[in-house]
Amino acid sequence: MLEIKDLKAEIEGKIILNGINLVVKPGEVHAVMGPNGAGKSTLSAVLAGRADYTVTGGEVSFNGKDLLEMSPEDRAREGVFLAFQYPVEIPGVSTTNFLKTAINEKRKYLGLEPMEATAFLKFMREKMELMEMDKALTSRSLNEGFSGGEKKRNEVFQMAMLEPKLTIMDETDSGLDIDALRLVSAGVNKLKDGERSFVVITHYQRLLDYIVPDFVHVLYKGRIVKSGDASLAKELEAKGYDWIKAEVEQGANT
Amino acid sequence: MAFRFLIYNFTMLLQTIKKDFIQYKAQAEPGNFLTLREAAFAEFEKLGFPTTKQEEWKYTSLKSITDNTFQSTCEIKSLVNDLFYASIESKLTANFLVFVNGSLVNELSKIIEKDNSIVISSIATARKNNQAIFNHHFGKYAMVEGLAMNALNTALLSDGAFVFVPKGKTVEHPVVIFNISDASDLNVLAQPRNLIVAEEQSTLTIVETYYATGTNASFTNVVTETYAGKGAHVEHYKIQQQAGACYQNNFTQFFQEADTNINHVTLTLDGTLVRNNLHFYMNGENCNSLLYGLYVTDNKDLVDNHTRVDHAKPNCFSDEKYKGILKGHSTAVFNGKIMVHLDAQKTNAYQRNQNILLSDDATVNTKPQLEIFADDVKCTHGATVGELDEESMFYLRSRGIPEDVARKLLLTAYAVDIAEKIKIPELVELLEQKIDGKL
Repeated sequence: MLEIKDLKAEIEGKIILNGINLVVKPGEVHAVMGPNGAGKSTLSAVLAGRADYTVTGGEVSFNGKDLLEMSPEDRAREGVFLAFQYPVEIPGVSTTNFLKTAINEKRKYLGLEPMEATAFLKFMREKMELMEMDKALTSRSLNEGFSGGEKKRNEVFQMAMLEPKLTIMDETDSGLDIDALRLVSAGVNKLKDGERSFVVITHYQRLLDYIVPDFVHVLYKGRIVKSGDASLAKELEAKGYDWIKAEVEQGANT
Repeated sequence: MAFRFLIYNFTMLLQTIKKDFIQYKAQAEPGNFLTLREAAFAEFEKLGFPTTKQEEWKYTSLKSITDNTFQSTCEIKSLVNDLFYASIESKLTANFLVFVNGSLVNELSKIIEKDNSIVISSIATARKNNQAIFNHHFGKYAMVEGLAMNALNTALLSDGAFVFVPKGKTVEHPVVIFNISDASDLNVLAQPRNLIVAEEQSTLTIVETYYATGTNASFTNVVTETYAGKGAHVEHYKIQQQAGACYQNNFTQFFQEADTNINHVTLTLDGTLVRNNLHFYMNGENCNSLLYGLYVTDNKDLVDNHTRVDHAKPNCFSDEKYKGILKGHSTAVFNGKIMVHLDAQKTNAYQRNQNILLSDDATVNTKPQLEIFADDVKCTHGATVGELDEESMFYLRSRGIPEDVARKLLLTAYAVDIAEKIKIPELVELLEQKIDGKL
C-alpha cells in the first residue's frame, strides 16, 4: 500500500529526514516512535503534502502511484488521511458542510455522483453513532471552541466519514486524558477492517496499549534505527530512548 | 411644488448651488425648516467640498465626483420596477418605501403595518401630517457644523423616509428604505434624507438598501438620523450594492437615550466610491451599540468606513467589528474613533478591523482612534491585514477539498460571520448567496 524508499526532506536548509525506508501493507498497523526532534511530525507532514518541507531525495508510492507528485487534496482523495496533532479551528464552517464538501469532492475525483443530502445525513448519523459523537458538535463551526479531546475525536470521526485506505495519526495522544484516549482509540479500532492501514506516530507507548501495532519503528535523527513488534514499544517505555541513542552512536563509531 | 431639474457642475459648484438654493428659497415657505436649511447652506458655502488635505478625508478623494456633472431629476423609468422586483429585499414580508433618485415612488411603496399610530411615510408627507414630531427631531442629531456633506444634504435634500414609532410599540415587519439611482439617461444626483424616531421602549427594524441602474454615473449623498428613546431597540441594516459608476456618501447618526440597544450592520458589496460615516452618541447610561461591517471590493473601487462612537455617559457597551475582502486594484479605508468622555466611567468598548487582501494591488488604510478621558474603562482595538490562514487552507485540502473550493469556503465563512449579525434569517440566506457569488 505505502512504500517509502530512502526519503529525505529538509526545512529551511536543515535536514530532518535522512533516508527513511518503510513498507506498510494493507491491514497493518505501524507505530513510529522516537524522541523529540527525531523527525516524526515531519514524516507525517511530508506524507500529507505540507508545503513547508522540501523533499530532497527518495520516493513514496501509494498503491503504485507517486504520492510526492500529488497535491494534498489529491493525496486525500486517493485515500490518505492525516489526523492532525493540532486540528485547526475554522469559524463559520460547520462540520456538516465541511464533510459534505470533502466527501463530494472525493466522489467527483473518483468519477462518482455527489451524495444526496438525505443519504449524506443518514451516513453521517451512522458514523456519529459508531464514533459516539455528540450531535451538537457537528452543527457547530469546525473545531471552534472544542476541547483538546473533542478535537481529536472529531479527527477520528472525519476519518470514519472519509473512509481512507491509509491513516497517519500524528501524536493523536498528545494532550489527551485517559478517558479521551480510550474513546479515540476505540474509534480507531472500530475502523480496522483488515484492509485499512494505520501509521501511528507517537512519543509515548500508552496509546499503543489501546491501538496495538503489528510493527514498531524507532525514528532517530531522521532515520528508522530500529524495528520490532509491539514488545519494542514496551521496552522503550521501560528503558527510555537513551539506549537506542547509545546504540546508534556506537554503531556510527565502529 | 414645481418640477425641479437642477444641473450641478461641481467645478463651479458654489455658484451653481447658490443659484439652486436661491431658486429653492424663492418658492419655500418661511419657517423653521427654511431657517435650518439656510444655515446649512451658509455652512456648506463656508466649508466647500472636503479635500484630501483634511485629516478625515485623507485617503478618499471626491475628485472623481467633483470632476463630473450630475443632474437631479424626478423622471422615472419603468426599468426600476424590474430592478425592484428582482432584488432580494423585495422578497421580504416588509414595509417598503421606494425612492428613485431621491423621490418617492408610490406604486412600489407599500405599508403593511396595521397599527395606525406607527408612521411610515416620506419626509414630504411627514412635514404635513406629523409636523410637530418632525420639527422636534429633524436636524437635531446629524450635525452640519464642520460637516460639509451633511450641510449640503440639509440645504438641498430631496425626499426620504420618515418613521415614527410611539412609546412602547413594536413595528412587526421591517421597514425597507429602498433607494435606486436611475442613471439610464444622464448622470444623476440624489440627496435622500431619512428621519427615524423610536420613542421609549419601542422596537423597530430598518433595512436601508441601495441599488443603481443605467450606464451613466450616479452620486448619492444621504443622511439618516435616528433617535432612540429610553429603552428603545433598533435594528438597522445598510446594504450597498450599487453596480456601475456609482458614488455614495452616507452619513448615519444614532442618538441614544438610556437603556437603548442598537444593532447596526453595513454590507458594502458594490460601488465605485462609497464613503460611510457612522456615528453613535450615547446620551444615557446602559446603552448597547453594536457596529458590524463587511466590505467586498474589486476593480478600482474605494470603500471608506469612518465610524465614531461617543461614550458620553457611564456604563455603556460598544462592540465594533469590520471585515474586508479586497480584490483587484481596490482600496479600503477604515477609521474607527471611540470617544470616551470624562463622565463615561465603566465604559466597555471593543473594536476590530480585519482585512484579507486577495490581490497584490489592493490597499488598506486602517486606523483605530481611541480618545479616552475617563479613567475606569475597558477599551480594546486591533487591526489586521493579511491573506487567508495557510494552516486552515492546508487542513481543508488535507481532507480532499481542492484549493479553490477551500479558499471560497474560508472566505464565505469569514464574510458570513458579519452577514449573520442581521436578524432576518431569510435575508441573511439570500445575502449569503449574493456574497458567495462575489467571492
